[in-house]
Amino acid sequence: MSSARSTPDAAGPPAPAVRLDGVSKSYGEVRALDDVSLTVRQGEFFGVLGPNGAGKSTLVEIMVGMRRPDAGTVSVLGGSPWPRDTALLRRIGVQTQSSAFFTRLTAGEHLATVAALYGLDRAAAGRALEQVDLADRARTRVDDLSGGQRQRLALATALIHRPDLIFLDEPTAALDPQARRSLWEVLRSLRGEGRTIVCTTHHLDEAEALCDRVAIVARGALLALDSPGSLVRSLAAPARLLVPADRLSVAQAEGLDGVDRVTVEGGEVVIETRAANRVLVAVGELVGIETVQTRTATLEDAYLRLTGSEQHG
Amino acid sequence: MSAYAAMTRATYLAYVRDRTSVFFTFAFPLLFLVVFGLLFRGQTVNGGLAYINYIAPGVLAWGIGNAALFGVAFTLMHWRRDDLLRLVWRTPTPLPTVLASRYAVALGTGLVQAVLFTAVALLPVFGLHLAASWPAALPVLLLGVTAFVAVGLVVGGLANTPEAVAAIANCVMVPMAFLSGAFYPVDLMPGWLQAFSRVLPLRWFVDGVTDALAGRGGLLGPATDCLALAVFAGLFTLLAARTFRWSNRT
Ligand SMILES: Nc1ncnc2c1ncn2[C@@H]1O[C@H](COP(=O)(O)OP(=O)(O)O)[C@@H](O)[C@H]1O
Ligand SMILES: [Mg+2]
Repeated sequence: MSSARSTPDAAGPPAPAVRLDGVSKSYGEVRALDDVSLTVRQGEFFGVLGPNGAGKSTLVEIMVGMRRPDAGTVSVLGGSPWPRDTALLRRIGVQTQSSAFFTRLTAGEHLATVAALYGLDRAAAGRALEQVDLADRARTRVDDLSGGQRQRLALATALIHRPDLIFLDEPTAALDPQARRSLWEVLRSLRGEGRTIVCTTHHLDEAEALCDRVAIVARGALLALDSPGSLVRSLAAPARLLVPADRLSVAQAEGLDGVDRVTVEGGEVVIETRAANRVLVAVGELVGIETVQTRTATLEDAYLRLTGSEQHG
Repeated sequence: MSAYAAMTRATYLAYVRDRTSVFFTFAFPLLFLVVFGLLFRGQTVNGGLAYINYIAPGVLAWGIGNAALFGVAFTLMHWRRDDLLRLVWRTPTPLPTVLASRYAVALGTGLVQAVLFTAVALLPVFGLHLAASWPAALPVLLLGVTAFVAVGLVVGGLANTPEAVAAIANCVMVPMAFLSGAFYPVDLMPGWLQAFSRVLPLRWFVDGVTDALAGRGGLLGPATDCLALAVFAGLFTLLAARTFRWSNRT
């Protein structure tokens, strides 16, 4: 592995926050990552999206130097994360998938301990609690926090030393919708401060709502990497029009020009089309425009097409 | 606060907030001391030392060794299972600093146990008398705790769950307690068993405390016991370095 550090180039674009080149990793027979190359830019909110077992955690662990790739090179903030480089680790914050909390301590005591491990004073712990809006829980035992509060404490743990680059491994897994939204707000404010965030998730809405760019990973392979909008467009996922089944028959719908596919789901005729405007007008003439519901393509459609084609390919 | 002080504090708080471990550390051995002490009150062993000179050091060494082994094993297993070891790995604090803080808590616990158990044994009903050589018990205590902390690191390195820690540690400690004379004077055991018990660290810990508190064997007695305990501590530390893992996910 190269130990060369990139020299800052005043004229060129800023050095990437993370660069992976041909990274592969196997656990015995299981190929967790297969020749993954990607670049995370400074200041972006970078999503890694994929189903369980896709290799997301392995990817993060390799980026932060907790795991060594079998092949390929990794560069983080211009340095190599392997072997352990404390100067580099000082600049990155990590929230692992299973949150690490000190046993039987309060939220405040836990953070004060982590602060001391980084050589910081108690004020750093208070600041981190404020940042995730948990200051009023400082004296609560970690075990007595709600799921959402625990996730925010885990985030505070990753942020305590004010890292430039933050890795979050499924930070909203197992949270109820409200807790997820409130964590999103915290994550958005971090991005607003100009920090680089790499965040894995298997929630599509999350990737769509938060990320500047999304890498879609399945079975260790990088399937696509682009902004959520571009991913949706480039995959040309069809739009869907929904009409109550008693207003329109399947045969009628299939007879319309520009319709790709017609199905019936839950009492609704679902029309898939890539010519949404034209078909909408035609359907509107048949049943009245106000009875038609439209569903535009989402990242979910793009994702399902990608990971689906992977499974049949 | 330094990383070492903060970790010591965190470990101390985790320890005292766990009622079960506090009970097994202090009350449980005391129970044995009281029961055996009253049962064999005023008796001597083979016309030599008083029975309390065997049973007080026996329960003391066993109680301290037990607490050090279980405590450290549980801590290491939890730290690894809860991914705290990898959290430490990501900070500039070296692992030995973190382990040293756990060691300090074990030493402190052992010292408090020793004072408490000795104080109870000195009560007139139990009738323990301290020989002038009693301060020699301090290095024995230090090395005894060290040896059992090292065994605890091995157990905590192997076991991934609290159940596994309890199972392994009990398999180690229960037979050793009976074979090392913790509850039954070694001098009353058959010769071959006495000889065999020398491969057990607890035997030397019990002997060392007995020697020091009763003034048996002059200063050479405790010194030999200390040497043996130091060898065990070294061996198990080497073994612990081999069984150590940063994460349950390899
Ligand atoms: N320590 C390990 N030993 C063996 N297999 C592993 C280990 N860690 C992960 N795997 C396997 O590698 C694949 C990728 O795992 P992971 O990176 O955790 O995926 P994700 O985070 O996307 O769920 C999975 O098939 C998983 O079972
Ligand atoms: Mg994962």
